[in-house]
Amino acid sequence: MAALYGGRHRWKRINCLHIFSRKLTGKYDYDLLVIGGGSGGLACSKEAAQLGQKVAVLDYVEPSAKGTKWGLGGTCVNVGCIPKKLMHQAALLGTAVKDAKKYGWQIPDTISHDWPTMAEAVQNHVKSLNWGHRVQLQDKKVKYMNLKGSLVDEHTVRGLSKAGKETVLTAKNIVIATGGRPKYPTNIPGAAEHGITSDDIFWLKKSPGKTLVVGASYVALECAGFLKGIGLDTTVMVRSIALRGFDQQMASLVTDYMEAHGTRFAWKSVPNRVDKLSSGALQVTWTDTQTGSEHKDTFDSVLWAVGRAPETKALGLDKLGVQLNKETGKIVVGPDESTSVPNIYAFGDIGEGRPELTPTAIKAGKLLAHRLAGQSTELMNYDNVPTTVFTPLEYSCVGLSEEEAEKRHGKDGIEIYHAFYKPLEFTVAERDASQCYIKVVCEQGGNGKILGLHFTGPNAGEVAQGFAMGFQCGATYSHLIQTVGIHPTCAEEVVKVHITKRSGLDATVTGC
Amino acid sequence: SLSAEKPHVPFFFCGTKTEALHWSARPRSRPAPTEEARSTASVASSCYSTSLQSTTTRVSFLSPSRSLPRALPHTSRREVSFNVQDSEDFTERVINSELPVLVDFHAQWCGPCKILGPRLEKAVAKQKGRVAMAKVDIDDHTDLAIEYGVSAVPTVIAMRGGDVVDHFVGIKDDDELDSFVSKVIGQ
Repeated sequence: MAALYGGRHRWKRINCLHIFSRKLTGKYDYDLLVIGGGSGGLACSKEAAQLGQKVAVLDYVEPSAKGTKWGLGGTCVNVGCIPKKLMHQAALLGTAVKDAKKYGWQIPDTISHDWPTMAEAVQNHVKSLNWGHRVQLQDKKVKYMNLKGSLVDEHTVRGLSKAGKETVLTAKNIVIATGGRPKYPTNIPGAAEHGITSDDIFWLKKSPGKTLVVGASYVALECAGFLKGIGLDTTVMVRSIALRGFDQQMASLVTDYMEAHGTRFAWKSVPNRVDKLSSGALQVTWTDTQTGSEHKDTFDSVLWAVGRAPETKALGLDKLGVQLNKETGKIVVGPDESTSVPNIYAFGDIGEGRPELTPTAIKAGKLLAHRLAGQSTELMNYDNVPTTVFTPLEYSCVGLSEEEAEKRHGKDGIEIYHAFYKPLEFTVAERDASQCYIKVVCEQGGNGKILGLHFTGPNAGEVAQGFAMGFQCGATYSHLIQTVGIHPTCAEEVVKVHITKRSGLDATVTGC
Repeated sequence: SLSAEKPHVPFFFCGTKTEALHWSARPRSRPAPTEEARSTASVASSCYSTSLQSTTTRVSFLSPSRSLPRALPHTSRREVSFNVQDSEDFTERVINSELPVLVDFHAQWCGPCKILGPRLEKAVAKQKGRVAMAKVDIDDHTDLAIEYGVSAVPTVIAMRGGDVVDHFVGIKDDDELDSFVSKVIGQ
């Protein structure tokens, strides 16, 4: 029941059990209202509050299809980066324990992993982060509300509590940072009833057992990676290629390593149906699209990692005319994170064309807060963003893939330096280093500006972070080889690359 | 006896101690006693008996003036600690408690809390009913914990007559706890 507006009168409107008054004198409840309490939303709201704005953040987690839910902090904290990295570490430790024998440690022949112990420890850490974020909001004087937000108009948001109680809030500026959720396949019978997604895997109390991971994104490969690493029978089903969007040579090194270490890959295959057997196991039928043949196998769990969809449906964006990308469903945003509606901004995973990464969301959020507070005009720089895939053999990169560099500069416009190296730690452990590799893509001529840097190996993320700074500063190949290496490390091999792909020479480097 | 048991955990608490707990003596709003209530209250225990629930350890009545004699409820069974159920429960059993109450803010995910909990119970039990202990799980009662300025856990606050009279954050050993509790009771 809409209230009648009139001039400067204050009208009271009764809405469910909640009474509020809408002031039409140009004053709003808040300077800034942020919908979404994830990496981006929290950073933006805290920054804005520090700049003196009156800020509120709404965070709400719609339970997954399996009923999993979590606290404040968004995807990264609860069902992404944090639990992923911890479980990845659990898997790496398993490998380390086996290596330890070669280094003299007296370790029993068979070691086993207990999922509940790991899961509880990981979940406890995540819960401590939920609490930490809550305290931070309190300290920074950001009003937090556990409500599901939707837009009423460009200055009004309706918040719905779990119990169904409505609260209406007004704000000068509204920021949407609701992120995304994993997609379920729509055309596979049994997919939603019997399968889980990354929303669920980190919160399982019992081991997922023999698992089929459908998908070949970094989510799929990282999950498959740690599941295999803790000793579970793991299969990855890939429709076409792995790590779409990443350098494909590097992607195959990653999957080669996983295959060599026991992960089964069903290449060029698509699942047809998932049935639950009387034993409780899941039977999956799939087609090998190359041969047309059908296959069947039973698993304890099926993990769908077939993409993520933006959280826009329940936001009421269509009502306001906020433009969405037709294909992805994400919000179309300008370089300043603005949407097609003035006073409404969007950033983080929900923004079309934006990297789905926490550090970019955080930085963009802080810069947006500064702009909204009128303190700056600086825009977020989305170039030169480094990233790492935490598969059993980690892969980190900054800049262009070889394919992209070739597309932009032509094959003759680039020079690629590369090297296969062996981490010193692998020697005594008698580990295979065939996929440990470095590739530096540079501009041809001049000092050879670095266009892209790629690294597979242990601690790839740690290795690449420093090089990302060099990249940001416009480092050239000349800078790279002038840098003295730290010995003995894997990272030093980056500053020692000298064999070009063009030369055709063997790129295997020997130790000292 | 020497409390030789030093915590083997490398940290004393979970989370960050952001700023000093900013409520030194934080009065929680509770109904102010009317003149009438004050006069009737001074007449021994008659008005108290109506609200006294002798079957449980819960005592809910106003203690408007400290000069009133402390009429200890004569319940025989007294649990050392109780878990706070909701904010009404907190108001009844902690704010309006005529006994001093230690409030143990803890979390399931907090290792040091699991060490401090039993120690606190032991220290409270030693006092044989002169002090009560309320346990608040901060994940179940986030708003309450935030209201009392809890940031790191474990945080223990001591309340007397609805006011915070003391607090500490992190693990303490048995001797430190004994002296903390004694101070709260006013010995």
